[in-house]
This record gives sequence, C-alpha cells and structure tokens, in this order.
Amino acid sequence: MIFNSIRWRLQAWHSLILVAVLIGFGVTAYRVARGNQLRRIDQELQQRLMTAFRPGPPAERHGPKGPPTQGPPLEGPHPEGPHPERRPNDFGHEHDPSAWRQHMQEVIAHAGALEAGQTNAFYYIVWQRDGTLLASSPGTPRDVPMPAETETVEREAGDRPGPITRTRGEFREFCLCFPFGDRALVGRSMAPDLAAMHRLALWLFTAGAAVLTLGMAGGWWVATRAIRPIEDISATAVKIAGGDLSQRINASDTESELGRLAGVLNSTFARLEAAFANQVRFTADASHELRTPVSVILSQTQTALSRERGAAEYRETLEACQRAAQRMRKLIESLLELARLDAGQELMKREPFDLSRVARESVELVRPLATERGMQIHCELPPVDCIGDAERMGQVVTNLLSNAIHFNREKGEVSVVARAENGTAFLTVADSGVGIPPEDLRHIFERFYRVDKSRSRIQGKTGLGLAICKAIVEAHSGSIEVTSQPGGGSKFEVRLPVGEDGLKR
Amino acid sequence: MRVLIVEDEPDLLGSLLQAVREDGYAADGATDGEEGLYKAESYEYDAILLDIMLPGLDGWEVLQRLRKTKKTPVLMLTARDAVKDRVKGLDTGADDYVVKPFDVEEVLARLRALIRRSASEAQPRLEIADVVIDTAARTVSQRGELLTLTAREYALLEFLALHRGKLVTRTMLYEHLFDENDNTLSNLLDVHVSNLRKKLGHDFITTRRGHGYSIESAA
Repeated sequence: MIFNSIRWRLQAWHSLILVAVLIGFGVTAYRVARGNQLRRIDQELQQRLMTAFRPGPPAERHGPKGPPTQGPPLEGPHPEGPHPERRPNDFGHEHDPSAWRQHMQEVIAHAGALEAGQTNAFYYIVWQRDGTLLASSPGTPRDVPMPAETETVEREAGDRPGPITRTRGEFREFCLCFPFGDRALVGRSMAPDLAAMHRLALWLFTAGAAVLTLGMAGGWWVATRAIRPIEDISATAVKIAGGDLSQRINASDTESELGRLAGVLNSTFARLEAAFANQVRFTADASHELRTPVSVILSQTQTALSRERGAAEYRETLEACQRAAQRMRKLIESLLELARLDAGQELMKREPFDLSRVARESVELVRPLATERGMQIHCELPPVDCIGDAERMGQVVTNLLSNAIHFNREKGEVSVVARAENGTAFLTVADSGVGIPPEDLRHIFERFYRVDKSRSRIQGKTGLGLAICKAIVEAHSGSIEVTSQPGGGSKFEVRLPVGEDGLKR
Repeated sequence: MRVLIVEDEPDLLGSLLQAVREDGYAADGATDGEEGLYKAESYEYDAILLDIMLPGLDGWEVLQRLRKTKKTPVLMLTARDAVKDRVKGLDTGADDYVVKPFDVEEVLARLRALIRRSASEAQPRLEIADVVIDTAARTVSQRGELLTLTAREYALLEFLALHRGKLVTRTMLYEHLFDENDNTLSNLLDVHVSNLRKKLGHDFITTRRGHGYSIESAA
C-alpha cells in the first residue's frame, strides 16, 4: 500500500502539522484583526457620541450655526474617567425635561447634518426613559430597538447602567445612559469593515494555501531525499534476497546515520556472501568426495553385470564395493560430526580430565600402526589437568597422531608432549616427516584441503580430520596451530585453557 | 585399439580396465600422473582416459605435457562438473570429458567415438566391399550376414579397416592391439589374421611380406 510507505506518512504528518499551524495562525490573525477593527469602531462611536453631546466652544465644534451651548454631561466610559463631582442634579435640564428634549433634538439634528452625504454615515438616536423615541438623525435604520438594561455589560457606581456596546446585524452601536434614564445611541454600519475582514480572510486563506503547497512540495523533496538511501538499501536488499549476493549498497556518505547503516549492512552482506560461498564450496567438496566411491561402485557393478562371471570375480566386485561404501560411510560420519560441531548441537562434556592420560590412550591406539612402519613414538606426558570432553580431546590427539604417522618417513619419529603453563595446557604432536609447504600451512585446517591432491597415498583420509580437530579444540575455547619446516617435520600444538571457562557454553 | 587409463583409485582403475578390455581394447593402467605421462609418451595409444585428481602430476599437468609431443585423443574423467573445469579441460587439449560418477556404458561409447573421430571417421559404420563393420555395435557382417568374430579378431579387423589403404606394420598392430600384460607370441598375430581370412575371404587382407598388412580401400 502506497499510504503505508514512510515517505507518504512523513508527508501526511508534515502536511497535517503545517495545516494546523497555518489554521492556528490564520484564525489568530483574523481574530486579532477583527478585534482591532471592532475596538477601532467602538472608539470611533464613543468619540462621536462624546463629541456630539459634550459641551464645548460652539465655534470650534459645530460651526457658526452653533449647537446648544450647554450639552448634557457625558457619563460612562470617558477617557478622563467619570466625574464624581458631577451629580445628575447639576444639570439644569433636570428640571425642565422639555427644554432637555428640545436640546437633544437640536444636538441630534446637528450631528445628523454633519453626517449627511457621507458614506457609511453615523446615526444618532435618543430615547426617553420609557422607550419613546425622542430624536433620531436622518439615515437611521428603521426599528432600532432601545437597548434594554439587561444588555448593559457593567454597572457603574450607583444604579445607573454603564455604556452598552452591541452588534446588531451589520450595525455596531454604542449606547449611553443618561442620569435620568434617557438613552443616546450612536451607530453605524459595519458593512465596509466586514467586507475588509472578508478580504483579509480570503487573503489569509490564499496565503495559507500557497504556504501549504510550498511546504508540502518542500516536505516531499526533503522526504524524498531522506528516503533515497533507504530505497537504495531496499533495492540492494531485494537483489540480494533474489540471490545475487555480490550486490553492495552504494554508500558514498559514510557519516550520516543511513550511511553508517549502509556500511553495517554492507559488511553483513559481505560476511553472508563469504559464508554462503564457504557453504557452496563445502557442499561441492563433499559431493566431489562422494563422487569417487560412487564411481567405483557404479563401474564395478556395471562391469561385473555386463556378462556372466565366476564366483571369484563377483567376490572381488563385492569387496571393491564394500571398500567404496566404507569410504563413503567414513566421509558421511565426518561430515555429520562437523555439521553437529558447527551447529553447536554436540553437547560437550564438561568435566576435569588428565590431558596426558588421554594422550597416552591415543598413543596406545595408534602404536600398532607406528610399529608396522617402524616408527618410534616418544612420550613426555606429566599429568596436566584440563576441563572439557576427554573423549573428544582423545579424538583430536588420535587424529594428530595418525597424521603424524601417515605423513612421516619410514622409521621416522613421532613425539607427544603435554605441559601446563600459566593456566594453559599445551599438547604438542611432532613428526619427522617431509613437512608442509609454507603456502599450504594456512589452509591446512580447511575442510577437504589437502597438501597433496593424492587420494591413494592417504587412503582412508577424508580430508576433514584437521577441520574436525580445530572445531573440537575451538569448542573448548582453545586453539590449534601448526609449524612446519619443509624436510624437518611438522609440529601441531593444541592450547587449552585450564580454568573453569574452558568450555564454551 | 589400445587405451591408457590413468586413475589413482585402484578399484575404479580395475573395473575400467576390465570393462575396456572386455569391449575388445587392449588397455594399460597407471595410478599416478608421472606413470601415466610416461606411458602415454612411450606407447602409441588410440585413446587415453585421464583422471584429473592425481597424485604427483595432476591431470591438467599430464595433459599439458603430453600435448607437446602427442595428439592422442584424451577423455577426461572429472569429479568436478563446474563449467569452468570442463572449459579448462577442453582448452588444455582434452577431446571430451565424463563427469564422475559415470556409467561405464557412456565411457565406452565416448571412447569409441573418440577413436573413430581420430581416424577421421564420422560414421560408426565402415563399408569395405561387401563387408560392413559397425564400430558402435562392434559387429561385422558380410553380404548382410552377421559374422562371429572374437574380440581380438574384431579389434584387428577394425584397426586395419580404420587404416584402410595404408600399410599397417606388425609393430603398429602389436602396439595397438596388445597391452603390456599380453605375452602374445608374434605368430599369434598371424593366427588372428588367418582366422579373419577364413571368415572374410582370403583376399580381403593383403599381406605385404616383411612389412605388414593392409586392407585396400576399394577392395
């Protein structure tokens, strides 16, 4: 699924976050702008109302025609704050409502006249306490309801309600309560402001969409770049899974996290390839080793069966087949043993034993072979305590001894020496044979490696003996080494740790 | 026809020698590369069966050295059937190869084909006058009637037929028809020739006194 890909997920999260940020930003910007706009309108309204109803030099404020020389005092949210010294009864009109009304009508008429002809004009309305309309300027929308006292946001000291600010449809209105209950309202249409706000919203939306598009494109680019090495790795891994183990990830950038990952994977692939090649070679070698005995059986039987034979000839054929089968059995046993050692299935015993006793037993085992070839076996075997599998170590010693006898010259010598030194047990098997050429020394423990490609000279040898020795010794956390001088014989040295950690768990 | 088999596994060598001899060839064996090379260079073999994995000199080495002096057809016996091994064998100068484990029948058939090709005969059937020699079935018939020949008689006839029109000396016949284990007296060759003449007619084989025998190609 494409939406399960990391790139798509990255992109989705990236876009989601971007959208959230943009929406947050846009909404905040819009709200701030709208708030500012409203505050500005409110201030304007307030100012109008104050200007209209505040007493002041007529010449300055209302022109030569002149408004009433004494306007009502302004209450409510006055920039200079309320005037506590002024009391309702300070106003002269208190005693003459009709004069007050007269005055109000004049004020409204005057203020309305000032607004005449202007777009987005202000309108003024004054109500009496009982709700009857006292005066309204021209251009006042119809049916403006008198603000109820319940709309009052705050109450000032005393019982008088504070100023009221309200939005009614597209109109914004500001209303003041006069001391004796009359109310003056100034309002204007917010239509142009709302249109401006719409434009702002549209602009914010467009800009947001543009930023989102850019951000997504950038995010895609970044995600693609970040993912490219992963895709390289994946493509290479697919090829390797397909069987081409020689593939490697092209890791030019070795410092980044992915570069390091590629490096680690490459070395893993290399080890895998090596192990695989080893396996292939081992299988090829094993089948190759089996080919010869199978050839013997096939050719012997086919030849024997091609015509009638005497009993003696059949017997010879059967004997040859038996030899071939024995050889195969030996090979198969060795292969199985190696496989078990490889898999670690072979549970090594873990008990104390005397390496020298084991070596002596092995020497007795091979002595007839040595005597047959006129060889001397020299032993120097003081007690050496070890921990591990005595039977398997015996196998190692027997193998080394049989090699020493096999590759020795006639009437040669074999020496077996055991000693302990610094917590390590040493066992040395040396012969006086022809030695091993230096170029073969490092391959000698490899499976099926033979110094002499001959088979007849090493009849009964599978080519796995030393590989098995090495596997056993290494399972004991030990090591096996060989030194050899051409013509001067070879010396195999087994080292085993004596301590408790002597056997791999 | 005389064949050399170089194989270090004694049981395999033994059965191959037996099979090849029972197929009517003279056969010598060698168990290592040096002996094999020595014999291959010293005698006139019609074909050599050569194992690759040999003690001493390996098969490649034997082949390489042999090719400096002789063109004897070589059939490689290889335990490795990797393509590069086969290519290496053929490039070194082997004429064919058989992968172990093989069927004896196949080895014998390839041997026959090698010998036939080296005598420039593409056909397994040789027709000389009214005599037909089928080298694949190893049968001889005259005027459509199958003749009964001993292995030696057949080998002698086949050798003469493959060299028809040429003089075949007694030495050549000894070289190619008898292996080193045969203690054949020289007159035994004459016995075989005379037996063949009885079966095929006196004039089929011409005696060149003092030199040897021949079969005329248009006889």
